[in-house]
Amino acid sequence: MEGSRESDLEKEEDDAATEILRDRFRHSAISIAESEAKTNDMDISPPVMVCIADLAFKFTEQLAKDLELFSQHAGRKSANMEDVILCAHRNEHLASSLRSFCNELKGKEPQTERKRRKASRKEDKATSNVLDIS
Amino acid sequence: MEKTFDPELIRAIFKLVWSRRALERDRNEVTENLEGEVGAGTSKKNRPTTANANALKLSSELLRLFITEAVQRAASIAEAEGVDKIETTHLERILPQLLLDF
Repeated sequence: MEGSRESDLEKEEDDAATEILRDRFRHSAISIAESEAKTNDMDISPPVMVCIADLAFKFTEQLAKDLELFSQHAGRKSANMEDVILCAHRNEHLASSLRSFCNELKGKEPQTERKRRKASRKEDKATSNVLDIS
Repeated sequence: MEKTFDPELIRAIFKLVWSRRALERDRNEVTENLEGEVGAGTSKKNRPTTANANALKLSSELLRLFITEAVQRAASIAEAEGVDKIETTHLERILPQLLLDF
C-alpha cells in the first residue's frame, strides 16, 4: 500500500521517543515511590516499584487523552486546570486535594514563601515562651 | 524536599500522545475523503492539543498522588500483615480500588 513505509518510519520514531520518555518517567516514579515508602517506614520491593511506575505511565497517556477530550468538549484547544480537576472526578478526596493544590498555584505567593513565613511565626512563638518561663 | 515529576517531562509525554492522535485524525480524514465524504474546516480542527503551565503542574501533582496513594495503600496492607516490606501481593490487593479511584 502507498505510504505504508512512511508510516512504519513514523511509528519507529514514535516508539523510540516513547521509550526515552518512559525511561525518564520510570526513574522519577521510582524515586517518588521509594520516598513515599520511607515516609511510611517501609521497604518496597523493586518489582512493586516498576509495576507502579509502568501503571503511572499508562495513566499519564490516558490523562493526556482525557485532557484533550475535556478541553475539546469545552471548545478549547488548550487544557487548563479545570480540565485536570475533572480528570479526578472519580474520587472526591482526590478531587479536593487537587483543588487545594490548584488554589495554591493560583495564589499570589509561591508555596515556599508561605511555608517560610509560617516557620518564622512558629519560631517567634517559641522564643516568647522561653522568656515567659524565665 | 518532596519528590515530584518535572512538568516538562509530563508535557513531553502529553505532546507525544496528542500528536499521535492528531496524526490518527489526519489519516481518518484522508480515508473519509477518498470515500467521498468531505470534512468542513478539518485543518483548523486538527491542530494538536496543548496545555497551560498550571495544568502541567497540576497534572504532575495528580501523577504524584497516583504513586503515593498506591504506595500508601499497599503499605497499610503490609503493616496489617505485620511485615515491613511492600511486596507484589500487597500491591495486588489494593490495585482494583486504586484503578477505580483514578
